[in-house]
Amino acid sequence: MNNLKHLFQKLLPFLMTIFLWRLSANWWNPVGILALIPIFYYTFVKPVNWFVLFGALFCFLIDYRCNLPLFWTSIFCLFYAINGFQNYIDITHTEDNALYIFMLFIGTGIFILMFSSFTWVGFINNLWLFVWLSVLYTPITAIDKWIRK
Amino acid sequence: MTKDKLSYKLGKILKSAFAAAILPIFVIYIMIAKPDYTIMNGLAHIVLPVAHWVGDVVTWPVRIVGQSAKWVRETSLLRSENEELRARLDTALSNKHLCDIAIEENKKLEKEIDIKHASPFKTVIADVQFDDTVFHHTTFLINRGSKSDLSRGMVVVSFDNRLVGIIIDCGSMFCRVRALTDADTNLAVRIAGTDISGFLQGNGKNKSFIAFFSNPLFVGRKGLKIITSNISGILPAGIYVGNMIDDKQVDVLRPNQISRVMVLKYNNIDSYK
Repeated sequence: MNNLKHLFQKLLPFLMTIFLWRLSANWWNPVGILALIPIFYYTFVKPVNWFVLFGALFCFLIDYRCNLPLFWTSIFCLFYAINGFQNYIDITHTEDNALYIFMLFIGTGIFILMFSSFTWVGFINNLWLFVWLSVLYTPITAIDKWIRK
Repeated sequence: MTKDKLSYKLGKILKSAFAAAILPIFVIYIMIAKPDYTIMNGLAHIVLPVAHWVGDVVTWPVRIVGQSAKWVRETSLLRSENEELRARLDTALSNKHLCDIAIEENKKLEKEIDIKHASPFKTVIADVQFDDTVFHHTTFLINRGSKSDLSRGMVVVSFDNRLVGIIIDCGSMFCRVRALTDADTNLAVRIAGTDISGFLQGNGKNKSFIAFFSNPLFVGRKGLKIITSNISGILPAGIYVGNMIDDKQVDVLRPNQISRVMVLKYNNIDSYK
């Protein structure tokens, strides 16, 4: 039983990412963008071995589905590189599971998207996505902590 | 592995360097591969189905719940749609029945107008309002009267040109008609195809009899046709009255068998009592 639990805990980051990506739905989870939460969390806040590649792959899939060639993949790589090169902020020990840095992560991407082709409808959609992802970040990361207990 | 170890730090820097190095590659690729992105799309064609399949496996309980909710919602929608369609169908059927009735009524009216035009007399079409059969009297009211130039003594026939009765009283908007089965009926008739005349009398009990044949030796029989005779000018000659059903009884039209009649404007006002 313990082995099973241990296995589940090991697989949890991957399962959660696939789960959120696959349950895409207009408005609530367009192109499975909620998968960015576990991708960020298990890459920067609670790093898991080999998850970086998995995260990059799912960023690529999100990009493919929303027809933005390598956009979120590039943002992900950019943040990964910046995080690796600096030692000023240790994300793994930041308060609130690095919620503000996650907001910066998605905010950067959404900001670029918003002003690459500005429309008021697009602006509202992007604003909604930003707020929705930020709001869901805390409960989704709390699920991880709850399961690991 | 602790974060303080050199190998960890080196590994982290190497990974970051790799991530940083891949960015310009992405940029160059996006610039040169536009708009086909052959490599990227080719990779997606392999990865996407696999990820989908794994995702299906991982999310099947949630999707089953979702599908069930969708099914319930669709069933509910179908039910309400079905009810609405049934209501519409009922309305359409009701309208169809009205149309069918209108078509049939139209045919009937056309036929009646044709018959009216074919009649040698001026005619007035009237509806039977009340069947006043009581005791030994059988009369009925029609909804046309003196305003339609009807008067006492005029002949009432059915649309198959069969004698129904004689008008015995006329109001402005109605007339009272004496049926052939009335006890006071006493009309001169003739056996069709012969010169033998007789008198048709009612018994007030839905039956009519023929008697007082002009040839005392004549014996009536079933199937003989009775038509009106013009003796004394009371009735126009040759109107079909009915068939004999035995040696005396004649099968005549009764008020309860008709709903609409024609009145022939045959003036015998002083002749019929």
